[in-house]
Amino acid sequence: MLRLTEYEQAMLEGGFGPFRQAAMRVICDYAQVLGAKELCTVRRATLFIGAHHYLDAFSPEEDYTRIFSEFYLNREEPIPFDRMAPECAAQTCAAAADLDDWEATHLGEAFVRRNNAWLGAASGVGVSIVNSCTPYYAGWVPLQGEHFVTNESSNTLMSNSVFGAYGNADGVETAVCAAITGRTPKWGMHVKENRRGDVLFRVETDPADAYDWDLLGYTVGRYLPPHGKPVLSGISRRPDVNMLRQCFSSLASTSAAEICHIAGLTPEARDVPDALGGLAPRRTVTITGREIAQSLAMLCDAGEGPVDLVSVGCPHLSLEELRDLAWALEGKAVATGTDFWIWTDYATQHMAARSGYVAAIEKAGAKVLNSSCPLVMRERSHRQYRAMVLNGAKQAHNIRAQTDAAVYFGDLRACVRAALRGAWEGGSR
Amino acid sequence: MKPIVLYGRGAYPGVAEGFAVVCPDSIAGNTGGLGDTDGVIYEAGSSARGQCIAGKILVLPGAKGSNGFSAHFKAAAISGFAPAGWIVTRMDSRIGGAIVSLRTPAVTDFADADPLSVLETGDYIRVDGTNGVVTVWKKAPGTGRRNITAKESGICPGRRNC
Repeated sequence: MLRLTEYEQAMLEGGFGPFRQAAMRVICDYAQVLGAKELCTVRRATLFIGAHHYLDAFSPEEDYTRIFSEFYLNREEPIPFDRMAPECAAQTCAAAADLDDWEATHLGEAFVRRNNAWLGAASGVGVSIVNSCTPYYAGWVPLQGEHFVTNESSNTLMSNSVFGAYGNADGVETAVCAAITGRTPKWGMHVKENRRGDVLFRVETDPADAYDWDLLGYTVGRYLPPHGKPVLSGISRRPDVNMLRQCFSSLASTSAAEICHIAGLTPEARDVPDALGGLAPRRTVTITGREIAQSLAMLCDAGEGPVDLVSVGCPHLSLEELRDLAWALEGKAVATGTDFWIWTDYATQHMAARSGYVAAIEKAGAKVLNSSCPLVMRERSHRQYRAMVLNGAKQAHNIRAQTDAAVYFGDLRACVRAALRGAWEGGSR
Repeated sequence: MKPIVLYGRGAYPGVAEGFAVVCPDSIAGNTGGLGDTDGVIYEAGSSARGQCIAGKILVLPGAKGSNGFSAHFKAAAISGFAPAGWIVTRMDSRIGGAIVSLRTPAVTDFADADPLSVLETGDYIRVDGTNGVVTVWKKAPGTGRRNITAKESGICPGRRNC
């Protein structure tokens, strides 16, 4: 039986208006489905909203208030927009398109304008337009013990595992309702006792860079049983946030992990026994070069050949990676007939522009784009390409549901090499 | 044949019947894994690839992939391709979000047997989400054919493999 505070009960009964009432109804139903006994206060949210393709069932001319009500609030009748919960800092996740470009990405002006109009409606109620799958680069950092919701699965892992904040892998609809009400069911990762790891991974591969960590996350996810909470042991080199970003994005592609402890590194894992809560793991898995090689074979097509798209920035790249790309492209030119897309959020894009990196990159013929990626933009953005090179395992894994093109996977240097030569010549790093 | 009965926790109330689509590896919630406007499973490597979820009882260990999991099921439902009900070995937030968003009967958190070890695609299922009871009529063994025909016609409005 769900227990509500007086404030929550008043919201459910309409005391704070129909917008919050409808959202609180969804949150209470969600609590019943999960089996939660109470709600908790949500301080931060990232929401996968805008003209995303999950709204393709609606006519583009449909009133967005009605779409919002039916899709997110479970209400047939349009509920007028009101404000999001003031205690919750809410912003947008990756968007359906770049904010400004509709030519390079082949999406067309009408679609990009509609996406911006729907994002504008969201910011009108208090969901800031950030359009990032790496929101921690632009200041969205939940603190240890703070409750959050996010629609970006790699950010669920980052925020739980590294920041020590509390959040589940919430769906779009329930996260939107959590941001409107400032409440979500106190269940799963929101409860300290549920956060201990239970599957021990002995890592024998000594990951050293973002590419290694991307493959490690992908591999751990392949061996993680359903509902498993991995603990990584044997990590001798300290990873940086960009490496963990890659690890968590691929881990969330091959599994449903919401937390991943790294013994000796993450806050709830001073050592292996601490990460396991003093209990024995339900399974122990050893990761060697063999398992990593299998993952690489799953992600990168065999052979060589010409490529017409290189896309990097899954998840969105950091400022220093844009600097490194500017350096790598200095005095060089992307091959004719090959498009080279570099994805980041627009705050980082602005900083990179001011720092001179964007100009250096674009002088070489590459394009710095914001807010999205081929996977999220879907087929219309990439259907004309016959062979693509990608740097994110998440992208390389999931794009295969959308394309028959050859898909090659490599690190940023391999991607630059392919873009300059207009060809994949093997060698993922 | 006498039906098999499984007991779990009713997660969303109501009663639904339909043929099972069993997904031992779940369904990836990533963009493109499930067709937003046709309810077809497109995930590369999935044993259920090509199946349409419309009118089916989905049998899953839990969710996997993107946090956008529920949005793709909601999109399919709005397009007219909603599953009739859910059987989930163990509840998680991704699939919980999908169940509440579709408002379809669901049973989860089974006490005795894992439904994945009992159910096969094509079995006929009744999901009683109010009382947490799942009733299973097994398809005829060895033939790949179902041993009942009731309600077979018109149960699925999907275009492919329904």
